[in-house]
Amino acid sequence: MAAKNGEAAAPHVELRRVTKRYGPVTAISDLSLTVDKGSFTALLGPSGCGKSTLLRMIAGLEPITAGQCFIDNLDVTDVPPAQRRIAMVFQSYALYPHMTVRQNIAFSLSVAGQPKKVQNERALEVARILQLEPYLDRRPAELSGGQRQRVAIGRALVRKPEVFLFDEPLSNLDAKLRVQMRLELAKLHADLGTTMIYVTHDQTEAMTLADKIVVLDKGVISQVGSPLELYNAPANKFVAAFIGSPSMNFFPVDIAAINGRTASVVLPGGRTVEIGIAAGAGARSAELGVRPEHLTVVDPKDPAAAFAGAVAIIERLGNSTILYIETAVGQLIVEGEGDLDAKSGQTVGLRLNQSHARLFGATGATL
Amino acid sequence: MTASVETGADLVAPLASRRLARLRHLDLVGLVITLVTVVGAVLWAFPLYWGLVTTFKPEYEVVRPGVELWPQHFTLENYAHVLLQTKIGLWYVNSLITSGAVTIIVVMMAAGAGYAISQLEFPGRRFFWWMILASFMIPIPALIVNHFILMSQLRVINTLAGVVGPQLIAPVTVIIYKQFFDSVPKDFREAAVIDGASEFQLLFRIYLPMNWGVTTALAIITFIAAWNLFLWPFLAVSSEDKMNITVGITQVHDAFGVSYGRDLAVAMLAAMPVAVIYLIFQRRVTQAIMLSAGIKG
Repeated sequence: MAAKNGEAAAPHVELRRVTKRYGPVTAISDLSLTVDKGSFTALLGPSGCGKSTLLRMIAGLEPITAGQCFIDNLDVTDVPPAQRRIAMVFQSYALYPHMTVRQNIAFSLSVAGQPKKVQNERALEVARILQLEPYLDRRPAELSGGQRQRVAIGRALVRKPEVFLFDEPLSNLDAKLRVQMRLELAKLHADLGTTMIYVTHDQTEAMTLADKIVVLDKGVISQVGSPLELYNAPANKFVAAFIGSPSMNFFPVDIAAINGRTASVVLPGGRTVEIGIAAGAGARSAELGVRPEHLTVVDPKDPAAAFAGAVAIIERLGNSTILYIETAVGQLIVEGEGDLDAKSGQTVGLRLNQSHARLFGATGATL
Repeated sequence: MTASVETGADLVAPLASRRLARLRHLDLVGLVITLVTVVGAVLWAFPLYWGLVTTFKPEYEVVRPGVELWPQHFTLENYAHVLLQTKIGLWYVNSLITSGAVTIIVVMMAAGAGYAISQLEFPGRRFFWWMILASFMIPIPALIVNHFILMSQLRVINTLAGVVGPQLIAPVTVIIYKQFFDSVPKDFREAAVIDGASEFQLLFRIYLPMNWGVTTALAIITFIAAWNLFLWPFLAVSSEDKMNITVGITQVHDAFGVSYGRDLAVAMLAAMPVAVIYLIFQRRVTQAIMLSAGIKG
């Protein structure tokens, strides 16, 4: 990943063969991960995939059952949270209700016994960055959701941490504010250049904010890569299905022949298409994955049409139109132009952009 | 309040008659409830009134037969005697010291114990919790002999410390604190831990301030209970100089025996601070009683 200020990319946070067990339940199993200095890394996955547990282990809030955690090449596995030079922003913000914004921001300095003057100066400095100056003497209950969020970030910022940890920080905000705070977080990262690790189940947040996304599934890393790598070259069906909205279409196909890096795939209608695969892959049957924008609505009699089907539901989003089309292989989602001419119940043909289609084997791995 | 069911006819009926019907309905139920309440209030308040009126009567009026609801000769002699001829000032101070000490120590200990049991991991935590629960199943008067022996072995009988000692057993306060600390979201603790707060800082800067309402409520009822306590201070202290105001009441007699007017005057004076505290903190006291009633079931 590109590091800020021209520094060479270096691992900043590293998990080595980490396992977390709760009694008989294994939440994380034998996971290794490196986060580069200055990067914005998102831990992405459905609820229960272990992403928050992972973050809490980096923070030191959750003891590690087996394995090691390094921050700046120092083994911090058994170091208490306060000495890890990290700061964390909680989903609930965890602002102390009985303290003012100023006291909340300066809390870490105050427990460290810093003089009042230093506390005030630093709180003011942070408030200035986050535009919280007018609210310094208010209590959290008197603030809006977005302001509370900023106070929570301020409380992290005041510690001048080496690593910022965010645990789904935007999920309590309404849609509009979420977009705004997303921009502010991106700006903050650009300004500070500090390593940030961000847990979310929202792929849009992960795609827009992160330069590296770690997709987790049942306590195991499914894939690590840049947002576009995950989108265009998913390592498996889980990543392919999880990234992208509306999500990818999948349907079973037969493989007629494999010629080096292409496979001849027989579609359910009998038509054969050539799909790119990794060298050396082999299988008789597989699942074909096609993103909604890689299916185009055409006339059903068009010779290029791979499928035909009836339009079930139309969602008009303005800039695009989402069609749910009942075909012989099941329901397919198609994303078309905003002014796409289609009616519910109408029979349409679908052309497949085969260069963007992906084949997934029986285990779910990309072929 | 009475609930009224709106029927179709109700809606059509003219407003005035509808209001009248509702009024009549209200009247009957309201009347019964008011009567019952008034009777209850009279039954409850009459002894207080009787006691208060008696303090303003000369002794011969108190002891003569018949019920007199108002003094024939109004006098402040009883109060004058109690305030000038007894050690009531000292008893007040003793009550204030012992009740204040009990309140402060109980609240501090209970907050600490409640915090430890709620938030800390240590061996024997469950055992301590069960012990506290068990200890509150035993009525304190059942242990009063043991308390006496223990205090006498500690050589604090007939001292203010001896009065305070056994009153520090307050399992209910610990239980209430534990439950409130349990309900503080975990995120607050974790955020503070990341900020480097110690357990003491967590307790005194996060958990206690976030539960100030509970602390004040518990402090007030602990104080009132300690102030009103009679049996233990009566047993623990024999010299007049160490007595609480409640025990002091027993000392207001002279060579001619008991004087009811004087006894009641000192009782009124003893109850006054508590009544004032109650009036000022009415809402908090009710809250505290509901808290402990919820636990005592």
